[in-house]
Amino acid sequence: MTTLTKSASLTQSEATAYLAREALYLDRLDFDPWLDLYTPDCLFWMPAWRDDGTQTEDPDRELSLIFYRGRRNLEDRVQRIRSGFSVASAVMPRVAHMIGNVQAEAVGEGHMRLDSSFITNVHDVRTNKSHAYFGRYEHELVLQDGAWKISSKIIRLMNDVVPTMLDVYGV
Amino acid sequence: MKPFALRDLIDDRPQDGVFRVNRALFRDQALFDLEMKHIFEGGWLFIGLSTQAENPHDYFTSFIGRVPIIVQRDGEGQLRCFVNACPHKGVRLVQKRCGSARRHVCPYHSWTFDSAGANKNIKWQKSGQYGAGFDEENHDLATVAKFGEYRGFLFASLNADVPTLEEHLGETRKLIDLIVDKSPEGVELVPGRVVFTYAANWKMQLENCSDQYHFTSTHPSYIRILDQRAKETVNEVVQSSIGAADFWQEDASGVTGGTMSFDHGHVLNWGVMPVSAALPEFERAEELARLHGAAKRNWMFNMRNLTIFPNLQLAENASSQMRVIRPIAAGMTEMQTWCIAPRGESAQARAFRIRQYEDFFNPTGMATPDDTVCYEEAQIGMAEQDRPWLQGHARGWSASVEGGNDWSDMIGMKPARSVLADAQLCDESLFGSYYRAWSARMAEALA
Repeated sequence: MTTLTKSASLTQSEATAYLAREALYLDRLDFDPWLDLYTPDCLFWMPAWRDDGTQTEDPDRELSLIFYRGRRNLEDRVQRIRSGFSVASAVMPRVAHMIGNVQAEAVGEGHMRLDSSFITNVHDVRTNKSHAYFGRYEHELVLQDGAWKISSKIIRLMNDVVPTMLDVYGV
Repeated sequence: MKPFALRDLIDDRPQDGVFRVNRALFRDQALFDLEMKHIFEGGWLFIGLSTQAENPHDYFTSFIGRVPIIVQRDGEGQLRCFVNACPHKGVRLVQKRCGSARRHVCPYHSWTFDSAGANKNIKWQKSGQYGAGFDEENHDLATVAKFGEYRGFLFASLNADVPTLEEHLGETRKLIDLIVDKSPEGVELVPGRVVFTYAANWKMQLENCSDQYHFTSTHPSYIRILDQRAKETVNEVVQSSIGAADFWQEDASGVTGGTMSFDHGHVLNWGVMPVSAALPEFERAEELARLHGAAKRNWMFNMRNLTIFPNLQLAENASSQMRVIRPIAAGMTEMQTWCIAPRGESAQARAFRIRQYEDFFNPTGMATPDDTVCYEEAQIGMAEQDRPWLQGHARGWSASVEGGNDWSDMIGMKPARSVLADAQLCDESLFGSYYRAWSARMAEALA
């Protein structure tokens, strides 16, 4: 991809820093800048697992743990978390994301694909229990008005037996 | 020594208008062990759908209580249910959740079984110098005592001394029909199983499915989003069917639904929902009325939460869910959940059904987490034993009548008891059916 201009792609370290920034917003439960990272028509998708041990691939015919097309739906999630009317969000867990093995690939002008691995440690303050979630992220970033935005994030959760609940900040 | 007498656990005095449940039922591990033996391993249990093993030699694995099982079709397509353990050393024979196999070879010492469960090979049997007793033993996979199917729903019992499956299901078969008859091709599970656990007793889930009382209290954050989405025309927001329904709206008037109780512990709570495009079934509304009559078709659109005691719940509300309750300990439960759907529905209807399902039912969605957290908070709160009797099984007792009502008559169904309700009645008397079935199965152990 040598034809791309420098500003229309991200270097490996810039891509890593971008993912770290998203993780930081989630760790701080700082949802406004987190939502700002996403395009209005973004895909946010965490597939489920089939009984044969493979992951679901067609979200319109198969079940996902989370599937949204449109940032508007993520805003609903944040609204519920902040509403004061969700007991599952009343005592917020403490979260730390660790992201590694980042691979960045330019797939077009102003269009990057980022593969990475994640571990999130979630301490449920309500129950005094900690849980770890792990898997892989697949981000697609697009350059919009000079800023990189997430147009697609796929979360491939490996340990999919959920202890009680799991919200968008936990993965 | 028996830890409890039955009368100390369920205070059932209809003549005095009293029905109370001791919180020990939710907390006591000795009682839990008895439940495993006498309820989950002592009677009919739901184990899966026949479509989970569709073709000859297909199988799936599950559990009956603590006992691992295989449900498998032989070469002729006949379904059987075996204990998933090699008779040699007790090793679990099949580790996968599903698959297709003409033979199962035990990973430990290579004993081999065919898809009908027959032992086909004992490694080096002739050189084994076995005693005469061994040759007289049956080396096939153990079959479960009872195995039956109703319209694709598979049930099994480790105890042979149970009523027929037909008798066990009784009138609830008409409620299963409402689900299966939504398509001439029957139902199927949408690929993708979602499993979660919660740190509370299995009966919290048993009750919550039938608990209309909690909806507006536990889920206001979700209801607000439903209200908001209903007002929006942006097509990217996930729409919901129950947003438009009256059965949970506190200002709705007249009969908005009710409950029905059946023999053997099965219960239904239901709410009136119009035949409208808010449900994915709408594309077949006319065809279904033609095939089954308007009354049965209308029932297919009503909100229905059906529990087949003790472990199957079929929820038809925001979407359509099949849940299987798997108790792990007095304070730990595993939930196996699927989206269940009519076969052959349009791609659009299927996608709509799935989208509604995820937001409402998933432990990663916007409603179920508020339920499961409440179960756990109940488990914590129920530590108190000085005042053992819960007050959560009392609503609706003076509205409960023997037999059915006009609504059950519409589909020729005869429940043991029923309650017709406005939006605020929120019957709890139906839970009596759970605990009477619980008592019947535990009676021998508790006396």
